[in-house]
Amino acid sequence: MEPIIRAVELVKRYPLPEDKSRSFAAVDGVSFEIFEREIYGILGPNGAGKTTTLEMLEGLNDIDGGSAFVAGIDVTRDPYRVKQMIGVQLQASEYFDKLNLIELLHLFGALYSRDIDAMELLARVDLTEKAKARPESLSGGQKQRFSIACALVNVPRILFLDEPTTGLDPQAKRRLWELAMELNRAGMTIVLTTHNMEEAEFLCGRIAIMDHGRIVAEDTPANLIQQHAPEPPAAPLHGNIEDVFLALTGHALRD
Amino acid sequence: MPSKLQRHLARDFMKIFLRDRQSIFFSLFFPVVFMSIFAFVRGGQEPIPLGVANQSDSALAGALVDKLGEDAAFTVVSGDEAQLREQLIHGEQMLVLVVPAQFQAPSAGETAALRLLADTSQFNQLPLVEPMLEQKLMEIEREYRGGEAMFSLEIENVQALSQSYLDFLLPGLLAMMLMQLSVAGSGYNVVEFRRKGILKRLFVTPLQPRDFVAAIVAARLGIVMIQLTVLLAFALFVLRVNIVGNFAEFYLVALVASLVFLNIGFCIGSMARTQQAIMAIGNIVIFPQIVLSGVFYPIDAMPGFVQPLAQVLPLTFVVSGLREIAVAGATLLEIVPSLIGMAVWFVIGFALATRMFVWKDVAA
Repeated sequence: MEPIIRAVELVKRYPLPEDKSRSFAAVDGVSFEIFEREIYGILGPNGAGKTTTLEMLEGLNDIDGGSAFVAGIDVTRDPYRVKQMIGVQLQASEYFDKLNLIELLHLFGALYSRDIDAMELLARVDLTEKAKARPESLSGGQKQRFSIACALVNVPRILFLDEPTTGLDPQAKRRLWELAMELNRAGMTIVLTTHNMEEAEFLCGRIAIMDHGRIVAEDTPANLIQQHAPEPPAAPLHGNIEDVFLALTGHALRD
Repeated sequence: MPSKLQRHLARDFMKIFLRDRQSIFFSLFFPVVFMSIFAFVRGGQEPIPLGVANQSDSALAGALVDKLGEDAAFTVVSGDEAQLREQLIHGEQMLVLVVPAQFQAPSAGETAALRLLADTSQFNQLPLVEPMLEQKLMEIEREYRGGEAMFSLEIENVQALSQSYLDFLLPGLLAMMLMQLSVAGSGYNVVEFRRKGILKRLFVTPLQPRDFVAAIVAARLGIVMIQLTVLLAFALFVLRVNIVGNFAEFYLVALVASLVFLNIGFCIGSMARTQQAIMAIGNIVIFPQIVLSGVFYPIDAMPGFVQPLAQVLPLTFVVSGLREIAVAGATLLEIVPSLIGMAVWFVIGFALATRMFVWKDVAA
């Protein structure tokens, strides 16, 4: 099967903050393939290069080395066609604070030259009664769900979620996971980054673990656990001092 | 022709700007206060220039002129009538008192007439000045004849081309405000949108930078024109400033000027990374122009070595274009040099704005 996303030896360099003449690789030769209808997770500590990797796939960030293909399109060659077919939820993005949710969704619709049903989109993310609210009045979970609604206006084939549940309470987190599952069941490919292990295990069909700009492991959660989880500890000792006594002095009866 | 996307975006930006009530209020409040200060303080405090054409060699006439010269309320300039009348028409004098040749102590029961030349429609301090002059005349009467009326004052209305200082100043002030509102408007928005991550979110959609720039410029243009209209109405109806030229042409020049400055604002916004930086860069662009572009006094009055620079500043073209229309009633054809200057700055600004606005650099 042809992968819907193919990253080949992706490299992103930034100048070193302390010495601008030298650079370091925030993403250092990353390759992976993601297939249609997958939920693919990129896991890693802060600064591992997860967001930069996503931004290169989304056409937001220049690719310094290697190549990226989304639905067969070279992202460097034709970022506008890629942007037409992806939906993106950025880490902690804000919106124009003088527009309400409906107006914002219509604005995003216009950016894709699409007529949209804003209320239907809001209903999908449980924000119907917030239709006339301004984004700054939303809670953290509502904001993230609204971000997803914005990412859905162009009916994308691929949805990118960058740390979608960071900072959310358990209820809001659960609700967001369910939403991601629903969208995936409806046929959407989802690529997400997270440093929440539970999230990766719960949602993702496959996981890549990134550190220092490289992928250090990639497989299904079950296989990764199989390969990398530590040996279970030996069974704890049980018994009491009588067992010790008997062990030392033998079981033979003494009359 | 703007695309559907550009229109939609421009409409939304317009909504965003109009819903920002606070900044709209302050953008109007300060210019209004500023203009009022110029109008009232200058009008009330300064001595009134008074041209005196003394055609008589009588002692009485000499005494009158001396009296007027002693009064701190007037700055007396002597000259012959024809010359002073000419100056009045060209706005260099506001009042001319003509003391006729036959002016002498009239015999008892007669009065001698003095003529006061003024453009009554322009010189709105006349009701204030007339009693002051009458007062002077009465003082002399008292000295010579103990209170019996000797003189009468006739006012001759002379149609002057324009102008009080405020008439001269208004086009300059409006041009300056146009610049500040436009530069700050577009530049501030770009930096603010970038800081909040809004730019990044917009440019992960297929939005093209030129559509974004066009929409935000169009929306700001609308707002700036509304602001200009409010300020102009205030100047015309409350401060009674005169505009001689055609209003449509005045607006057309203001519109082009606004476009020029919006583009410059965009360039600054693309350069600056923080709100502090945009304030600093904005001031570097704005303040020298306020000083050098002939807003408050003509460029000819400046030191020779800065004049070549002053002549090519964008604000200079705008000020001179607006002023020629407002004060001298010039038509667009007569201000072609200013229009060409603005057009050149527009092209430079637009090219720089779209080039410098690197959408890949949208993150804070």
